[in-house]
Amino acid sequence: MVDIVFLVLAFFAVGGGLGMILFAQPMYSAMSLIVCLIALGGVFALLSAPFLFMVQIILYAGAIVTLLLFIVMFLNIKKEDLPDEPNKIITIVAGAVLLIPFNIMILKAFSTFPEKSMYILGDGFGAINDFGIELFRGWLVPFELISMLLLAALVGAVVYARKEKPNG
Amino acid sequence: MADSLLSYIALAMILFSIGFLGIISRKNIFIVYMSIELMLNAVNLIFIALGRYNESMQPQVIALIIIAIAAAEAAVFLSLIVVLYRRKKSLNSDIFTVLSQKDAAHE
Repeated sequence: MVDIVFLVLAFFAVGGGLGMILFAQPMYSAMSLIVCLIALGGVFALLSAPFLFMVQIILYAGAIVTLLLFIVMFLNIKKEDLPDEPNKIITIVAGAVLLIPFNIMILKAFSTFPEKSMYILGDGFGAINDFGIELFRGWLVPFELISMLLLAALVGAVVYARKEKPNG
Repeated sequence: MADSLLSYIALAMILFSIGFLGIISRKNIFIVYMSIELMLNAVNLIFIALGRYNESMQPQVIALIIIAIAAAEAAVFLSLIVVLYRRKKSLNSDIFTVLSQKDAAHE
């Protein structure tokens, strides 16, 4: 049962990713990315990370990609504004062939790990309570630094996006 | 299949490779941005799979931090795209090699 769920989620994730890099229109690519991210959220749930599953749906599919869709619609891109990419398919195929040795190397390194069953853990592992305890006990300083980074990104986005003064 | 670490790592590596191929093959700046997001997600998947393997929750916290950094990156990257599109009226990533305002005025 879990195998079937994993296979379906993996199929949607890989299909969404491939659709993202193959569609010409950014709108369709963003839709494919949403499919891929939601399927990945399901894989997180299979790995006993229910809180990250929620974060993935709410933050990635709900906020980041929606912001991206909003910008795509806001810019009102016409078909002739899109850059023409004559060598797209050739580059993708050649790049895939070149990436195979790299992937084999990584998989070989991981296959030396001893086999272990990865059934879904209960007992609140990865749920919001245990997650919060882990976050605020061991990772308080990175958490605070993240808040400063988000503030800096907010200020930076506002500075970039304001109206430019005509200066010569 | 869902029991072994290797299948999750294989899925993550496939997604990472797709993101890398998107970055090297596409010129549309939006697709490049989405490919970066996909690569970040693949790394998140590796972190969470290893966290389940070791029954530790620290990788999940790292994954949450990566998601927060991706959100910050989204805000800055998308506002940069808006500024550059307003200035140059193109989404081709090649023309973004020249960022100077002086050159833009001469064109």
